[in-house]
Amino acid sequence: MAGGSLKRCSLEGKVIVITSGKGGVGKTTATASIGAALALEGKQVAVVDMDIGLRNLDVVMGLENRIVFNVVDAVKGKCKIKQAAIKDRRIENLYLIPASQSDNKDVLTPDSMVRFCKELRKEFDFVLLDCPAGIERGFENSVAPADEAVVICTPEVSSVRDADRVIGLLYARSITPKLIVNRIVPEMVERGDMLSHEDVVEVLSIELLGLVQMDTQVVISTNTGIPLVLQKDSEAGQAFRRIAMRLNGQKNLPIEIPNSPKSFWKRVGQKIGIGK
Amino acid sequence: MGNNGGMDIQNPDKSQVRLKGVKDGFWVTLDPTLPKDFLEEELTRLFNQLQHLAFNSRVVLDIGETLDHQEVIENLAVFLKHKYNVGSVSAPQREHDMMEDKPRKLDMSSTWHQHHTDALIIAGRVRSGQKINAKKHLVILGDVNPGSEIIAGGDILIMGTLGGTAMAGQPDNEDAIILAIGFKPIQIQIGGVIAAGLPTSSAHALEFAHVENGGIVVEDYIKTNPFGRLTWPVVR
Repeated sequence: MAGGSLKRCSLEGKVIVITSGKGGVGKTTATASIGAALALEGKQVAVVDMDIGLRNLDVVMGLENRIVFNVVDAVKGKCKIKQAAIKDRRIENLYLIPASQSDNKDVLTPDSMVRFCKELRKEFDFVLLDCPAGIERGFENSVAPADEAVVICTPEVSSVRDADRVIGLLYARSITPKLIVNRIVPEMVERGDMLSHEDVVEVLSIELLGLVQMDTQVVISTNTGIPLVLQKDSEAGQAFRRIAMRLNGQKNLPIEIPNSPKSFWKRVGQKIGIGK
Repeated sequence: MGNNGGMDIQNPDKSQVRLKGVKDGFWVTLDPTLPKDFLEEELTRLFNQLQHLAFNSRVVLDIGETLDHQEVIENLAVFLKHKYNVGSVSAPQREHDMMEDKPRKLDMSSTWHQHHTDALIIAGRVRSGQKINAKKHLVILGDVNPGSEIIAGGDILIMGTLGGTAMAGQPDNEDAIILAIGFKPIQIQIGGVIAAGLPTSSAHALEFAHVENGGIVVEDYIKTNPFGRLTWPVVR
């Protein structure tokens, strides 16, 4: 808002890694959505795609045609941060630093990422690192500079297992992770066909940051590049906005448990019944 | 046979009849299936060298684990008593006869007084990918998540849910147990016995696994009370 300038002289920003261990649980969508939501809160936000060689955060954000420089160039000093950071088309204060598609993960080192994020902290309030799947070099590179971690997990046994492993690795690096349970299908939970968020939290036993329900709008948003959080009728988008508020310091914001519309009306009906 | 006897003098260890002195007599090891004449001949050869010691001595004839051939001992007893005036000839006392005295000693002195344990006691959650190795017993105050691995030389006691892989009594102690509140392991192993694909119990009951007839059995700890029958507290 301040004339699109990246300069900020106040407190240093936070680096938050968004990770999961397992692939395909919604890390990239979560990064794009939380980044957009934090920017809508008025913060200077940079989202960094750390999946070197398999970049797609740019596609999700609809910015792929604007890439000139990428994170590898910026880390190696081939360009300035300002040159690598692509300004979002719709949301003020939101910047993307894309991954390189032609390199592999070995071109970056944890040390070089720590130095790079030190620079980013001066320019942004929030730096979100979209961690690649797995726990190898790409994970190391993303976790090394992070102050905080958000673990994304879906209500599936395989995802919970991998999230558990990642949480152990984060604790080993003195980072206390927070949890987002993504892709909850309330109807399936009610039928007992899906793990409930209580089951997931019981096994992982870390602070819950939010619950996001399965939402077909995500696919539409990914394909069109329109941020999920700008879609008022998207349950997932609204959930990500609340998550961003919690990350932004609103600790007391109650966690909403996704409900199926049917059960909601059933509940209202019951209430009326009792009322009478 | 003569050739054999010649060998024996050179290599007494390889002889089929061997004699060694024990604190109050002689211990003779022999093969009872050999011919009587040969056994007597060999005994004569051995006892001739220590006639002065043989008088009134106690001789134990060790014919191995077999319970047959008791008559061999009787025959040789007559032979030795007659020829060398030995005091008594008997079969060796079996191990379990000696065990009879042991429980009495236990209540004389409490075994745990001077006992220093190697038990590893840890608190917290064991997560996927983490591995805990204990030399002897392992006690975990907390949950053990699926995908983790806990290994102990002795028992494993978990004050929480067991969801991972647990190996007790490694490498070969099949008396070890695995106990947990909420028994949902991926796999368990006690000594060399492995149980994979156990049915998971959903209830938060106190259950334990132990080896019974070569297989792993999981039972309710309170109902079974496996150590309730021990007459005296013993160190595990």
